[in-house]
Amino acid sequence: MIEFERVSRCFGDQDALRSLNLTIEQGEMAFLTGHSGAGKSTLLRLLLLLDRPSSGDIHVNGEPTSKIRSRMVPRYRRRFGVVFQDHRLLFDRSVHDNVALPLVMAGFSPTDTARRVRAALDKVGLLSHEQANPAVLSGGEQQRVGIARAVVARPEFLIADEPTGNLDPQLSSEIMSLFEAFNQVGVTVLVATHDLPLISRLRHRIITLHEGRLAGVTAQ
Amino acid sequence: MVWLVVAISLALPGAMLLTLDNLRPLIPDLERPAQVSVMLAGVLDLEQAEALQRELATWESVEDVTLVRRDEALAVFGEQTGLSGLLMSLDHNPLPHALLVSSSAPRTDAALSQLVEAIDALSGVDRAIIDNQWMSRLKQALLATERWGIALGAAMVLGAILALANTLHLAVDARREEILVVRVIGGSPGFIRRPFLYTGLYFGAGGGLLAGVMLWVLSLWIAGPVNALFVLYGSLGQIQGPGVGYPLALIGLGAGLGWLTSWAASARYFSRLEAS
Repeated sequence: MIEFERVSRCFGDQDALRSLNLTIEQGEMAFLTGHSGAGKSTLLRLLLLLDRPSSGDIHVNGEPTSKIRSRMVPRYRRRFGVVFQDHRLLFDRSVHDNVALPLVMAGFSPTDTARRVRAALDKVGLLSHEQANPAVLSGGEQQRVGIARAVVARPEFLIADEPTGNLDPQLSSEIMSLFEAFNQVGVTVLVATHDLPLISRLRHRIITLHEGRLAGVTAQ
Repeated sequence: MVWLVVAISLALPGAMLLTLDNLRPLIPDLERPAQVSVMLAGVLDLEQAEALQRELATWESVEDVTLVRRDEALAVFGEQTGLSGLLMSLDHNPLPHALLVSSSAPRTDAALSQLVEAIDALSGVDRAIIDNQWMSRLKQALLATERWGIALGAAMVLGAILALANTLHLAVDARREEILVVRVIGGSPGFIRRPFLYTGLYFGAGGGLLAGVMLWVLSLWIAGPVNALFVLYGSLGQIQGPGVGYPLALIGLGAGLGWLTSWAASARYFSRLEAS
């Protein structure tokens, strides 16, 4: 469970988030939406401790993140799988090595790593591209590699920042189905997106931000 | 290229140290006990001079006392200056008896001065002279050379550090995207830093190895003429090569510098990244 408690983040005299209260339940899938500058990215950065709130606190499974020391931040971040809009794949290594990165970091054995990477690639339908360079893949395929990397270490939470921003409606729909599949096996999923037509068809909560405040929550 | 810069920066101070190592045994005078020349009063006869010699020999701070008789001194003086004829025409020998006193006291200026004062105070002694000025000069000259060497060496090592830092900064910057991704997905600073530490080690130790080879080649190259020079000066010494110790020390120093520099360069880069 993720709880934002009166969380504010100011940059000079600009408020990116203003006293935000928000709860995302364990095992829930929710969409985070709003115009550019509404505070979506700030919220995700705060959740991943890439930034700290100016005031308020974020609790993850009851644990206040303000108590997490910088030395423990990497371990905390490993509880999250993160999907970026621009994939952030490393083009100097193969699809396999990209997906394996979180496992290498966590110190998995090569055999275990290979097995898990193949399982994750199989889930996103890219097992046949395991040894390919990500540069030769299409945008949709690259995003699926990014998703495989995010889920390979079986995180508690899956966070996605505009994962369908560069994709056509058909591919976007496929990507969202993938997120739903992971949610169904118990992963808490939070997707920041502009794609209202797509998410309004899906039966998940839509959290709308406006100028750093919670503008509405649509339960579906 | 980086290897070469590091190698040259380490080889020069290494060569300087090796030169000092080779020079040290060539200055045996510094190891010889200090000698005090004691001019006795002109009125003292040989017996009295011998009595003084025996007395001084019992002193704890005195190792050895040699008596130089006045006629003996005059003969040597005449021989060395070529003025024997002129000296023969003198109606009396103007030189006093003299004692050459070797000190067993520690070779410090203070201990020697103390000995000189004590001898000076004896009756029958005209004056005790210690020519320690040349020694002080030599000592200071050596000290100055050594410091100059250290300063120059430090500057060269600083050059090596800057070359390494620049290379490592570029290496870190080239992997900026990877660092950002790994950081977000939970890579620890140690995990992110590891490849750069290996890079630093690679360039540092490689540069050190090359510096060792350079030193070895250099000492082989100059060994011929220097050994010939030693023979001309009547020294039986031979030039000492870098052996195993120097290359090992250079590799160790290079590796240490590479490791520390990459640590510092990556830490600086990461803190800037955090701040942005």
